[in-house]
Amino acid sequence: MSVEGVGEAALGWVWAHRDDFALGDDALAADGQVNRTWKPLGELTRVCASVSLCTPPAGPLHARARDLLDFAWQQTHRGELFGLMQSLEPFATYPLEIYAAFASAGFRSPGYEASAAVVARTRGWRLTEQYPTRRLGVLEAERHSGIRPHGSAAQALDRTWLGGLPEPWTFERAAGYALTHVVFHVTDWGLAPRGVPPGLADYLPHWLPPWLDTCLEARMWDLSCELLAVAASLPRPPEPAVLDDAWQRLATAQDSSGAVPEEGAAQDAAGADAGPDPYDFADCYHSTLMTVFAAALTAARQRDADHAGQHAGQHAGQGVPG
Amino acid sequence: MPSNEVLEEVVRTENIDIDAALDPAEPDGVFRDSRECAALALQSGGTNLLLSPPTPRPKKG
Amino acid sequence: MEQSSTSALLQGTVLDLASDVVSALRSGDHVRAGSTLTAGGAGEGVARAAVRVLGADALLPSVLLRVSPAPGQLAVFKDAVAAHPPRADAAPAVVWSHWAMARTLRRLEHPLTGPDAAEPAAEPGADWLDAAGWQTLTHQLAVLAPLALPGEECAVTRAARRRPVDVARGFVRAVRRRDWQQAAGAGRWLTLLDGVPDTLGLEAGLDFVRLMGGSDPRVVLQLEAARLMPAAVLL
Repeated sequence: MSVEGVGEAALGWVWAHRDDFALGDDALAADGQVNRTWKPLGELTRVCASVSLCTPPAGPLHARARDLLDFAWQQTHRGELFGLMQSLEPFATYPLEIYAAFASAGFRSPGYEASAAVVARTRGWRLTEQYPTRRLGVLEAERHSGIRPHGSAAQALDRTWLGGLPEPWTFERAAGYALTHVVFHVTDWGLAPRGVPPGLADYLPHWLPPWLDTCLEARMWDLSCELLAVAASLPRPPEPAVLDDAWQRLATAQDSSGAVPEEGAAQDAAGADAGPDPYDFADCYHSTLMTVFAAALTAARQRDADHAGQHAGQHAGQGVPG
Repeated sequence: MPSNEVLEEVVRTENIDIDAALDPAEPDGVFRDSRECAALALQSGGTNLLLSPPTPRPKKG
Repeated sequence: MEQSSTSALLQGTVLDLASDVVSALRSGDHVRAGSTLTAGGAGEGVARAAVRVLGADALLPSVLLRVSPAPGQLAVFKDAVAAHPPRADAAPAVVWSHWAMARTLRRLEHPLTGPDAAEPAAEPGADWLDAAGWQTLTHQLAVLAPLALPGEECAVTRAARRRPVDVARGFVRAVRRRDWQQAAGAGRWLTLLDGVPDTLGLEAGLDFVRLMGGSDPRVVLQLEAARLMPAAVLL
C-alpha cells in the first residue's frame, strides 16, 4: 500500500471515531482527566491543521481534515471554552498550546488571545518550571496566538536533548518523544523544514535510520510514526530506501479498520481474531493520528521532489504521489 | 600432525556446528527504557507534575 | 543431546580462548594466549574448532604487538585452518573468516604446508556486503571483526571504508538492541574508518559497551583491539 493509502485508511478510522474525541462534561471539571479530554482533542486539531495545510485541496486527506477541524472547533464552542478555561486555570499552558493549533489553521478567538496575553506578561508565567521541550512548544504557541514569546526559542532549543546533539546510542523512548517534538516545534509541525538549524539538519539524517529501525523492531509504532514525521520535516530527508522499509513495516501494524496500535503490547492483548475494531480508543488514537500526520508530510515531500524534478526538466509524471 | 590424524579429528568433531558459530544469526533485540522514580519529584505522587510527559505524547497505561 | 553438549563445550572453549587473548593484549605477553590450548582441558578437536571460531583473532596479540606466536599456538592455529576449510556452499562470512586466518599465517611468515598454501589464496568477493543494507552490513562486519586491522587491504575493508555512516548507524542499532558483541565489533571497525560522524561519540560509546557487555570476553577482545588499533602498525 502507498504511504498516502496508509494515511487515508488511518484518517478513515479517525473520522469514524470522531465522537470519541468530543469534549464531555468533565472537560471543565476540577477533577476531570485533562489527558482524556483536552489532550486527544488538541492532538486531533494539531494533526488536522498540519494535514490541511500540506495537502492539495483535491487530495484524499484534505477535505476530511478540514471537516475534522470544524468538528473540533465546534467542541470548543467556537473557541469560547478557551476563555472559560483561562478563568478556571489561568496559569495552565495546555489551553494555549491547544488553541495555537486551531489558530494555525485559521480558527481564532481575539478575546481569548487578549486575556492569555495578560497572563503571559507575568514573571510567573515566564518562570514556569517545565521540560525544555515543553518550553519550546509554549513559545511557539505564543507566537501562533499573537502573543509576544516570553523567551528565546534558540535558548530553549539548546536546553533540549536534541539541541545538545547527544550520542545517538543514548536514545530511549523518552528522549525520542522529546526530540520529535523539538522538530515539530521548530518546523511548525512539518510545514517549515527550513526551521531546522544546520547542526540538526546534519545530525538527524545520520541517526534517524537506527532509531526508526529499533523502534519498529520493538513495535513502538507510535514513536515510529513520530520519527517518520520528523524524517519528512527535514531539509534533506534520509535515503528513500530507509523510508520505504520503515513505511512497509509500519503498514503491517495497521488494522483493517485503519487503526495503528500504539505498541506491540496492544496487538498481543487484542489477539489474532480480535474483530473489526480491535483496539481501545486510548490504545490507538494517538498512533493513528501520528500515522495520518507522517503520511501527509511524507506525501507532501514526495510532491515537492516531483515538482522540483519537473522544474529541472525531468519527466516526473503529473506530480501524483505514489 | 600427520594429515590422516587431522582427518580423524575432523570426523570426530564433525557434529560440531562450526558454520553456525562462524556466521551466527543476530540475537533478538532487548529493549527496556530507563525509568524515573516518582520519589525524586518535588510533588506528591497524586500530582506527578514533574514526571508528566511533554504534550502531546501518548499516555501510557 | 550430544550435539548441544558439544556446542556448549565449544562455546566455553571459545570464551576461554578469548579471555587468553584479552590477557595477552593487556599484558603484551603472547604466551598466555596459549594457556587454554596447552592446558589439555578441551580435547584437541574442540580446541581446534574453538580456534577456528575465534578466527584470526586467536593470534591477534602476535599481529598487533608484533611478537612471534608460541610454537604450540601456531601449530593449533595451522591445524584449525587445515581442519575447517569452508564448504563449497559456505556463507561469505565463513569463507572470509577462513581467508583471514590463512592471511594471518602468511603475515606471520609461516606459510601453511600444503599445495595451496605457498600461494596467497584467491581473495573472495565482497559483493554481498555492497548489496546489503546498513543493518546486515554491520552485522557481517562485526562477525568479520578479525579483518579490522590497521593497514589491512582486502575487499571487506574496502567495503567498510566506503560506508562509515552506515557502520556508525549499525553501532547505534547494536547498542540499542543490547547486542554488545556486535556493538564491540562495529566499534572496532569504526576506529579504523574515516568519515564517521563526530556526533556518534565513539570513545564514550566504546566505554559504554565495556560497561554493559564487559562480562563477555569476546566483547572485551574487540574493545581491547579497538584500544590498541590507532597505535598499532600492522606486522
